[in-house]
Amino acid sequence: MIARMIARAGLRWMDRRLRAAALTREALAKVFPDHWSFMLGEIALYSFVTLVLTGVFLSLFFDPSTAETIYGGSYGPLRGSSVSAAYASAIELSFDIRGGLLFRQVHHWSALIFLAAIAIHACRIFFTGAFRTPREINWLVGVTLLLTSLANGFIGYSLLDDLLSGSGLRIGYSTFLSIPIVGTWVAYLVFGGEFPGDRVIPRFFSLHILLLPALIAGLIGAHMAILVRQKHSQFPGPGRNDHNVVGSKMWPTYAFRSLGLLSAVLAVSFGLGALVQVNPVWVWGPFSPSAGTTPAQPDWFLGWVEGLLRLFPAVEFRVLGYLVPSPFLPGVALPVLMVVALYAWPWLDRLVTGDRERHQVLDRVRDRPGRTAAGVWAVSLVVLLTFAASDDLVARGLSVPVQDYVVALRVVVLVVPVICGAVAYVLARALRGHPGSRLTTMEPRQIAGVLGLRRPEARRPPAPPGPRAERPAVPSEDAPDVVDSGSRHGG
Amino acid sequence: MRRALAILGCTLAVAGASGAAAAPPTPAPETRGRALYGQSCATCHGQNGEGSPRGPNLENSGAAAADFQLSTGRMPLPHPGAASERRQPAFGPRDIDALTAYIASLGHGPAIPVVSRGDLQEGREIFVSTCAACHSGSLAGGTLSSGQAAPPLLASTPTQIAEAIRLGPGAMPSFPRGVISDAQVNAIATYVTSLRPQLDHGGAPLGGFGPVPEGAVAWVFGLGLLALFIRLIGKRAP
Repeated sequence: MIARMIARAGLRWMDRRLRAAALTREALAKVFPDHWSFMLGEIALYSFVTLVLTGVFLSLFFDPSTAETIYGGSYGPLRGSSVSAAYASAIELSFDIRGGLLFRQVHHWSALIFLAAIAIHACRIFFTGAFRTPREINWLVGVTLLLTSLANGFIGYSLLDDLLSGSGLRIGYSTFLSIPIVGTWVAYLVFGGEFPGDRVIPRFFSLHILLLPALIAGLIGAHMAILVRQKHSQFPGPGRNDHNVVGSKMWPTYAFRSLGLLSAVLAVSFGLGALVQVNPVWVWGPFSPSAGTTPAQPDWFLGWVEGLLRLFPAVEFRVLGYLVPSPFLPGVALPVLMVVALYAWPWLDRLVTGDRERHQVLDRVRDRPGRTAAGVWAVSLVVLLTFAASDDLVARGLSVPVQDYVVALRVVVLVVPVICGAVAYVLARALRGHPGSRLTTMEPRQIAGVLGLRRPEARRPPAPPGPRAERPAVPSEDAPDVVDSGSRHGG
Repeated sequence: MRRALAILGCTLAVAGASGAAAAPPTPAPETRGRALYGQSCATCHGQNGEGSPRGPNLENSGAAAADFQLSTGRMPLPHPGAASERRQPAFGPRDIDALTAYIASLGHGPAIPVVSRGDLQEGREIFVSTCAACHSGSLAGGTLSSGQAAPPLLASTPTQIAEAIRLGPGAMPSFPRGVISDAQVNAIATYVTSLRPQLDHGGAPLGGFGPVPEGAVAWVFGLGLLALFIRLIGKRAP
């Protein structure tokens, strides 16, 4: 009772100075639409939090230097060997510093989960048309976040100066070199000279712990500020339209849900870090330009580039007398093309659909069969390319010559995504006119109708989003039935 | 680990000594080996190791090759045309010694190398620069061209490692003394045996295959569990 009075007095004292009560009240009443897939981005957010927390711990012990040192820690096979200070400190973190290995592994696992969450979140945005007006800016911010995080993942993995990541760094260097005309300058600019050099580790360290995390944090801030400003999109349902937001309030519903998710992200990251080994750098050994280890793959999020490099035929040609080396097309040109297409998607989509309206209600995946087919084509292509990065492991597992397997994969990568896209198109068309049916409950005649195998029935018009849509979901008690986005408390 | 190696060395020495002591009353190992050879090897390698269209000449293979092939279970093949890979050995240690002695008596091949404890750090350096490119830094083995594979070294004994280095079985090049000295062979064998307990220092080692299984675990057990979690808490209140 007394404690409560003191707390009240304290808060009142604060509010007389900060005038934050009205703002806080508004923030706590903010409504978020309910759907589990809207929390995929939050997994990425909390993985970033985990990365910052564990990364701070690691930065206290990691020595980002290529200076030769004699390792003197407790890992026997390395004792007395001359290795880089970066590698030596990574081994010390893994063997001598209390909790060091746990934090190293949690950091690595949460990086892998962070990028997986971003990828799956981007898919959700894509397939539900959440990038449409007015959310194009947040799509651009999101794609930039994806690329920044990819870059920081690769750089962080390379910092340890071990044999496996050094091989990856060499591929990166060669890919820079392959850019016609400016390649050598670009590679020297990034590496401060010829590979491997002694500049790249300290440079990457500044990028990894300062510049890129600051950029990611800033972009996340912008991403969420825009989300708050524009209000979260929602799936079609009773009482939902392009001018309102229906869902749960920030306090108490969403706040606790989100806090639970933070705990779950920490639990899963620390669980994996404690139980499953990741990147055992003492096993790979220190980087040396003359050595190599097998199997050698990048972390999963760069598997698609590795797959492109492994599958693309080694062709070199000259344009206007300038050599275009073989890594250029798969290593630079195609990835850049894919990234440009990703950035441009909201406008490409608009070009096809001619849709310039402002949207608050999301598309269902079936509503736009063309977009769904394009997305399934792209996702299956990237998945297959990622899979192709492990061609040596799979060929060994299947006991087939790796060269033959690569030839087969070249065909698969070109053909299978087209088939997947076509199947997705047919399924989306078959479901589109039947808002109540699902993939699991659809009837053969729906597909037959799309394929023209039977006379189409009198086609029902696609159900407009609104009261007639099939989702019978009832808003939870604490949520307003309909919150007008124009009102002060809305969204 | 040092102690374990010492014990291993002693055990081998004792086994050798007891074999020699037990020799006089029973027939000489070569005689016994001759009989075993006739039962299990002669079909392909010929009655006296002269070879046949089904199997190579063994006259100058020597004890090292015989011991390597028999103790890793690569020979005898379960059926003609089977892949040469590590299996449960078909013979016990005494039979392998007898067969090895018989094949050694056929000609002038290399003897079984004697391995002792070597320099651990030197072993790590040579292994990483010479062996890891095919056998993997994690001893998991690796893929070679034309459908061949470098086998994992997870079960190899120090003697088998030394035999393989000197003989170069399968697709492996042989490394004579001028390239890798006896002391360096000892060092490599010492490193491989002391690395094994460190392979899962950080938890489940995922086969030592690196980022591919790591990525799979991150998706299935990382994001998969979290997606399940949000699916459950994201359900609307009744």
